Amino acid sequence: MVDVDPDRAEQRAEQPLLRMRGIVKQFPGARALDGVDLEVRPGEVHCLLGQNGAGKSTLIKILAGAHQPTAGEVLLDEEPVTISDPVAALKLGIATIYQELDVVDGLTVAENIYLGHELATGGVTRRSDAARNTRQILDRLGHKEISPHREVGSMPAAGKQIVSLARALSRDARVVIMDEPSAVLDSEEVGNLHRIVRELTADGVAVVYISHRLEEIRQLGDRITVLKDGRTVATGLPVADTPTRELIKLMTGRTVEYAFPERSGVPEAAAPVLEVEGLGLGDVFQDISLTVRAGEIVGLAGLVGSGRSEILETIYGARRSTSGSVRVGGKRVRSGVDGAVAAGIGLAPEERKSQGLLLDEPVYRNITLSTFARMARGGLLDERAERAAAREQVEALDLRPASVDRDARTLSGGNQQKALLARWLVHGCRVLLLDEPTRGVDVGARSEIYGLIRRLADNGTAVLVVSSEIPEVLGMADRVLVISDGRAVHEGPAEEIDEHAVLDLVMEGSVA
Amino acid sequence: MSSTDDVNQPTQKNHPGSREITMTSSTVFRTRRVSGAFIAAACAALVVAGCTSNEPRETEETATGPVTTTENDEPGDEVVIGFSAPAADHGWMGAITSAARAEAEKYEDVTLQVAEGTNDVNVQISQIEGFIDQGVDAIVLLPFDGAALTDVALEAMEAGIPVINVDREFSSPFAARSTVLGDNYGMGVSAGTYICEQLGDNPDAVVAEIAGIDSLPLTQDRSEGFKDALDDCGLDVDARVAAEFTVESGEEQTANLLSAEPQIDAIWNHDDDQGVGVLAAIENAGRDEFFMVGGAGSINMMEEIQSGDSVVQATVIYPSTQAADGVKLARLIAQNKTVSDLASIGVPRTVQLYAPVVTADNVEEFLPIGFES
Amino acid sequence: MSGQSALRGPALRMGGLVLALVLLVVVGVATGGERFWSTGNLITVLSLAAVTGVVSIGMTFVITSGGIDLSVGAVVGLASVWASTRSTQYMAEDYGWWVIPVTALIVGLVAGLINGLLVAYGKMPAFMATLAMLAAARGLAEIIAGRRTQIVFVEPFFDVLQARPLGVPMIVWIVVVVAAAGWFLLNRTTFGRRTVAVGGNAEASRLAGIKIKRHTLYLYGLTGLTAGIGAVILLARTTAGSSTHGTLLELDVIAAVVVGGTLLAGGRGTITGTVLGVLIFSTLTNVFVLNNLDSSVQAIAKGAIIVGAVLLQQWFASRERTTST
Repeated sequence: MVDVDPDRAEQRAEQPLLRMRGIVKQFPGARALDGVDLEVRPGEVHCLLGQNGAGKSTLIKILAGAHQPTAGEVLLDEEPVTISDPVAALKLGIATIYQELDVVDGLTVAENIYLGHELATGGVTRRSDAARNTRQILDRLGHKEISPHREVGSMPAAGKQIVSLARALSRDARVVIMDEPSAVLDSEEVGNLHRIVRELTADGVAVVYISHRLEEIRQLGDRITVLKDGRTVATGLPVADTPTRELIKLMTGRTVEYAFPERSGVPEAAAPVLEVEGLGLGDVFQDISLTVRAGEIVGLAGLVGSGRSEILETIYGARRSTSGSVRVGGKRVRSGVDGAVAAGIGLAPEERKSQGLLLDEPVYRNITLSTFARMARGGLLDERAERAAAREQVEALDLRPASVDRDARTLSGGNQQKALLARWLVHGCRVLLLDEPTRGVDVGARSEIYGLIRRLADNGTAVLVVSSEIPEVLGMADRVLVISDGRAVHEGPAEEIDEHAVLDLVMEGSVA
Repeated sequence: MSSTDDVNQPTQKNHPGSREITMTSSTVFRTRRVSGAFIAAACAALVVAGCTSNEPRETEETATGPVTTTENDEPGDEVVIGFSAPAADHGWMGAITSAARAEAEKYEDVTLQVAEGTNDVNVQISQIEGFIDQGVDAIVLLPFDGAALTDVALEAMEAGIPVINVDREFSSPFAARSTVLGDNYGMGVSAGTYICEQLGDNPDAVVAEIAGIDSLPLTQDRSEGFKDALDDCGLDVDARVAAEFTVESGEEQTANLLSAEPQIDAIWNHDDDQGVGVLAAIENAGRDEFFMVGGAGSINMMEEIQSGDSVVQATVIYPSTQAADGVKLARLIAQNKTVSDLASIGVPRTVQLYAPVVTADNVEEFLPIGFES
Repeated sequence: MSGQSALRGPALRMGGLVLALVLLVVVGVATGGERFWSTGNLITVLSLAAVTGVVSIGMTFVITSGGIDLSVGAVVGLASVWASTRSTQYMAEDYGWWVIPVTALIVGLVAGLINGLLVAYGKMPAFMATLAMLAAARGLAEIIAGRRTQIVFVEPFFDVLQARPLGVPMIVWIVVVVAAAGWFLLNRTTFGRRTVAVGGNAEASRLAGIKIKRHTLYLYGLTGLTAGIGAVILLARTTAGSSTHGTLLELDVIAAVVVGGTLLAGGRGTITGTVLGVLIFSTLTNVFVLNNLDSSVQAIAKGAIIVGAVLLQQWFASRERTTST
């Protein structure tokens, strides 16, 4: 283990390995980058910060050779280079690990690592050589236990990420770009990832690290570059000397309180709306019992893989429970999603784009996806009523841009989330299940979402929320259930527990 | 809207082949009418449950050719003949196999082993290999693809089994002891000559051609013969479309053709299977200023010719009895006999069959060898 | 701004199709003159588009929902054969001509529902389930028909289906009615909205409470039903049922639907586009025959149109995407 040394950044103040100057990228009708400067030194973890739409993805794609800059230059070892395509990027020693891990599920670990530069003699692959080298690389990454012959499709996200990393190493990469690598990992795996990153930098590799999590940047980063609206607003900020408030200010142009709305307090007399009893799903989770009263927000805290999301999906009927029961307003809910929807349960799923939205349909149709049939008369759509209902919600939620006819694809993450909440507001559901309501939502828009959820509760909705950010659960919820290994290990008011205590419980739980 | 009265009235002749069937069937139906009314739903259920029967009212005559008997037909050595042909996916091909079977049944000394019809050359090759292993006395083979079956036919010949090649020629002359061929070029010539006879005095007459699948050599041969014969009397093909030997494609292509040519004097349709669709299109367009010549020789078309009031005046035979001839020759070869009406000794190497024109004058004679499309 | 471009996209695409059709018509008039631009010929073009047209309407729904139905051609064949067996025809003579079309519709519907059951509840990929139906339906049709052409002898059937109200053949009216009903169903009803939603994002639709399995079942049933209607039209036009009816129809239908602008991946469908696609192919055939051109050249032209249309589609799609981000 290498400890973070505050002076390290200064010690490495040598000549930059990678330098970008005045990069501009013009798309038809939009300027994604408008003068970006970046300077990365060998052996440092250089963090790239910026809100959604600030231009981080475009910048990465230029480095990966997927896009060509309209203007500006890229220098490697102070020599100007052209990165014409992804192969050229790899040849120059620049490897990119995307958020959507680009591994081929049907191939083995070794085949994935040598994909595109197979070890072969006359077209015949040298399988044993590839396997041996793969083993060495995996060993270096601290993952001896992964077999080179395992099929990648059968591995969890963390494993796939290791494979992506191994691929970068097999290419002798000098610059590794990682796009939100920790988003798919739980905290133990994040620790392992950080260790690997430090080992890479100790070998002189430069890592460009993109993350939304300021905590993580504090632990891992050396210097920070902040992008806003396609421009570099600050570069080379030493992590240790830059307060969080300053960073948020740079990113947003205003000081944002990472603030949660006041708890309004649930009246003692409030009736229980959602009652879950002894719910279980095979060996994923067992014996979950919880009650959410009208106007109450209950949070589920736990690590990735603890069964949190599955609990929501099972309550919602998207998975078939193996034991237990779900009641709404005292009545047992019919099995299946339509039973849950009929009983007044709504779900805003974790993966908004793949599970929530019709991206190429207008906003109003997304908002009325659960209600268009109810608004229709005799099977005939009433689009006027749909638009009116959607417009009302767009105004109430301050969804921007305030047009109900735009395609959902064009909305930012936060506004997409609002559209999903609007869907259930129109539906008038009594129970709202929220899975990671702020994932991919930029810092500025988060508190707005928190406020919205609280308002929903104040109007009498019972809310059950899951988030992988423990402070978020604690800040938002009235009551918290801590889930570990598919069991509830603690239940109590959110005010009476802090992040440390939750982590302690989770660790204990997983040991037991 | 629907009324049983309609059924009992003598119906007008609007559709090919409809008259006779309509009249007789309604008679039959009256005798077996079930009293009382079925409700529509029950009827529909019945339809789906089991109305797939195609049983006709009377047994159909099996095709029997003109009967000629020679001393060759006296029983000889018992012979086993292997028979393989493509899948009977259209009327003519179906008639090929049934005619071969019927021919073999006439001889008590012949056992015909018929392999399941297939359009897969690999399957057909393995069928022939099976006959070789089994040691049959002769093989009658109508190959799906002549070139592809040549090797295995050679194998059989080398094993001492005479092979009779039918219709589609092998690529090697050594692969067959004897070959029975139809005459595609000759069909075109016969059709063209007939049309010349009818239109000969009018060099401006409009002649149209409805071909079969254009990529097949047999279609090209037919078209070439047709063109050459027309050339001979100063006519040419003014419009040509290619269908696909199916009723649907015949209808579609003909509808377009009729639309494109407002005035036609004669049409030759290569294939009577697709002819049903061709006639339907002519009917739909309400056209009758021309006469039509068919091809191959289906019972349907012969009945049209017989009726005398159809646009169909003639059809050119492409004998569906070729394989039956093949069986006959195979028997003679296996029994070491010769063709009695020829002076030379031994069965001929090649027999190319004539493509006669069937008209109202001689249709009675040909009806028995017509095939059901 | 991008709101406008979202409106402009479909209109432009439709404009392209209309332009292609107009271009074909101009070529037709230039090369065929009166022979092309006559009521008789235009009715021929429409009549020949009838079977493809009707089945394409059903296929538009399945493709919009992200599925595919390869069995339509074989189901047309099966329905045409089942509806023209001697026993069906005897029954038609006894109870009425409608027995024939009703039989065809039921056979089509049942085949479609079987497809739907396999896809929705058997969780088979649509491609495989309907490929199996293609083989099975064609085989069953061959067995029932004994590979013979079954001539229809029920005259009242033709009295109705070959009638020409207002000088236009009944089968063309059938297409017009089916297309209008299809447009209404896709654009104005909850059924249509569900179809688009399931095609756009099946998981999101499921989580929003749409019963996607049941809907999938209905969709394939609908396509089967249109195949049944197609069989009735073929029976009326060719006066015969045959197991070869509808051979390769599925390819023409899919081509027409996709050329019309319905996304093969699902999520967007247009009946108007489908109708234009069908008309383009039907006019193309007509113009080629009018000029006495080789059927092989026609096949090449067909291929070129498909490639051109799909390239154009992708170009519009990518333009929309870049202007809206």
